[in-house]
Amino acid sequence: MKKIHFEKLQETLYNEKLSNGLDVYILPKRGFSKTFVTFTTKYGSVDRTFIPRGKDEAVTVPDGIAHFLEHKMFEKEDGDVFQKFSVKGASANAFTSFTRTAYLFSATDMLYDNTEILLDFVQEPYFTQKTVDKEKGIIAQEITMYDDEPDWRLYFGTIENLYHEHPVKIDIAGTVESIQDITAEHLYECYETFYHPSNMVLFVVGAVDPEEMMAFIKKNQDAKTFDEPADIVRIFPTEGDTAANTERTLAMDISKPKFNMGMKCNKTDVEGEEMLIQELSSGLVLDLLFGRTSDFYTAAYNEGLIDESFSYDFTLENGFGFAMVGSDTEHPEQLEAAIRQTMRTAVDNWPITNIELDRMRKKKIGQFMRSLNSPEFIANQFTRYAFNNMNLFDVVPTLEKLTVQHLQEAFQTFADDNGHTIYSVVPADKAQ
Amino acid sequence: MFKKVELQEGVTLYIRKSDQFKTVNFSVKWKTALDEKKSAQRAVLSNVLQDSNGRYRTQTAFRNKLDELYGTVLYADVAKRGETHIFSLYAECVNEEYLSEGGVLDDVLGLIQTTIFDPNLVNGQFDEAIVNREKRSVIERIRSLYDDKTRYAQKRMLELIRPNHPASASSYGTEADVEALTSADLFAAYTQMLAEDAIDIYIVGDIDDNDMINKIKSTFTFNARKPQAASHAFVTQPIANQQHVREQQDMKQGKLHLGFSTPVTFQHPDYAKMQMTNGVFGAFAHSKLFMNVREKESMAYYASSSYASHYGLLYVNAGIDAELEDKAVNLIKEQLVALQQGDITALELEQTKALLANGIKSAFDSARGQIEVFDQYKEQDEHFTAEKLIAGWQAVTKEDVQQMASEITLEIVYLLSGKEAV
Repeated sequence: MKKIHFEKLQETLYNEKLSNGLDVYILPKRGFSKTFVTFTTKYGSVDRTFIPRGKDEAVTVPDGIAHFLEHKMFEKEDGDVFQKFSVKGASANAFTSFTRTAYLFSATDMLYDNTEILLDFVQEPYFTQKTVDKEKGIIAQEITMYDDEPDWRLYFGTIENLYHEHPVKIDIAGTVESIQDITAEHLYECYETFYHPSNMVLFVVGAVDPEEMMAFIKKNQDAKTFDEPADIVRIFPTEGDTAANTERTLAMDISKPKFNMGMKCNKTDVEGEEMLIQELSSGLVLDLLFGRTSDFYTAAYNEGLIDESFSYDFTLENGFGFAMVGSDTEHPEQLEAAIRQTMRTAVDNWPITNIELDRMRKKKIGQFMRSLNSPEFIANQFTRYAFNNMNLFDVVPTLEKLTVQHLQEAFQTFADDNGHTIYSVVPADKAQ
Repeated sequence: MFKKVELQEGVTLYIRKSDQFKTVNFSVKWKTALDEKKSAQRAVLSNVLQDSNGRYRTQTAFRNKLDELYGTVLYADVAKRGETHIFSLYAECVNEEYLSEGGVLDDVLGLIQTTIFDPNLVNGQFDEAIVNREKRSVIERIRSLYDDKTRYAQKRMLELIRPNHPASASSYGTEADVEALTSADLFAAYTQMLAEDAIDIYIVGDIDDNDMINKIKSTFTFNARKPQAASHAFVTQPIANQQHVREQQDMKQGKLHLGFSTPVTFQHPDYAKMQMTNGVFGAFAHSKLFMNVREKESMAYYASSSYASHYGLLYVNAGIDAELEDKAVNLIKEQLVALQQGDITALELEQTKALLANGIKSAFDSARGQIEVFDQYKEQDEHFTAEKLIAGWQAVTKEDVQQMASEITLEIVYLLSGKEAV
């Protein structure tokens, strides 16, 4: 077991890659009563075309299947896994993103019993056509719930606008129609391909004894047999740098128009340190151009172009990435002009110097320190970073060495007008 | 868990030295009887006070300073609890031992002091332009509730069963009350809040507590005050019959909200029993609602209950296909009847006790959790501990839950759904 001490952060991380390929990380947190454990596979909604384990030819599976599989993992022959966690006082959950499926629990008692439940339920699939069909009603209601959430529609509409082919444009849960095609065989095929321990990370953070916990996990894993690790072949369509649609509008029953501008990132074949630098730099650029201390924000807020719903965000994964800037607004045209003007000005006359960078760097270091109070943040982010060959605990040293040049280069990856799009959700009574 | 220091009559400091967190958390809470006009004033005031102050006269200058202090968080917000309105000022900064420079904590303390005592005044009044801008922001926040269909349905349900009552009142006041505010009203509200409200100050972090107490004593110069016991300013009439209300918007899912009442409130001796009852009924993934409405019938993605103990209310929310409303309502009613008939297993009780215990212990794993839980439970017992609460749940029997369930009365079935569905 490796022991990595981070002196400045006063944290010690324990890590071991087990013989079956599972990567285990343990981070004890002083003073905490709860332990948070995540068991995550590098498998999300974008992994829809791949060569199944043991086969030669690629298949494309129905949309929403990774999320469907996540739901179905909780049902076993002897009942619902939530019931088992509840008896042991654990609050359990799961989520599916574009690139990951995570199973997790938080508990203040019976840590080993709960860890065993987690490891065992994720590693013992049980799918029948009857239980699969039963789940369709539940997930249909989940999809319908999201259909009525204007901010979710705004977010996904923007991504749909940005991408021609890449499956990031497909809603994570799929559609009520697409999930009807899902069968138990599909689920087994996806499970066998993506849930091998060598494609997964287990992260334990909080009240935990690292040696004892590692020994417990090893014993659990050693008692199970797995196939040899195999490389996973995922197939993605080629995707250009331009936005697929420049502008679209959706009418919903809302009170105030919602506006979002998406900016496609043209450098996404990255991982490791390069990715960390690009991601942190892009975040800093957005903070400086659009954050609360920016000229843009001050003017837009004073003029009523944006309100408290204003937000911006940068997403980067291997194969896709985008910045978004949006707000509820009664003046979408003026807001669009102000955002475009801010981007154009930064292209023509780069506004960020060391003074701004140093201030924002301090802010980001503080934010990172604050987030280390949260076991949930540490486990989820560490795993995401690990799947991209980055280390969460490199964030502060990387922030410390960023230069204005890094920020300018990162900005260039989403500055091109041709990769920009507008998506709006407007009140139905004011539409057309 | 907190060291208590009375700074003045009606002004109390609660301080907790802990090395669990990498930050120091501050929370200053002003409490007064809930009143819609006051709520409107204080909602706008919270925006105005966090915008700028006498030392940093623009939002940009103030936010730049906070960024320089390693992204120190400083903001104000309003909320309600029972019949009390609470104005809170929050700050959080990184503990200096994790930083390459010192002086941050003292600077932050100074900024909190400035935010409270040295607002951004022009000729003795708040700047009209800032006030108008923040009035607009609060109005838009109130209006945006319409766009969140679940919250909107919940609000409508409460308005129908508890009109003109603290349970349905917004902690931001009404749009009309915000609209009518003047800069002079706001300054009067600010002065009154500082002089008359009960004030609780919380500090959690790895600090020298005696040094901190002295600094607070010398810089937070609040006068003594005699806070009035919370007594709300609403004239309420009881709503007689059980209601069944359907409303429509352009949407896809049916938002089913049931409202129940119970005589057992937060201060009631049976409070722990009612928490257990809510847990067995619908608060968790092992509860009757989840197991039957979601898992057995596949009718919903979410189906859960929540206990608003301060108002003696219990809510059930489910997102369903609106055409299946009757079936869903019957299924929900059946789960309550099952509780009333004592159809409660030892397993359900064990699971619920375990998860309530996990919930309270987990809440103490964040500084904000420690502050918020303590601030609420100290009204029951200043010396409460997680262990005492857990012992209270452990003592609850099947018969207790059955008894509590019989004291739950359905007041309303409310469905918000799409126009073509019903």
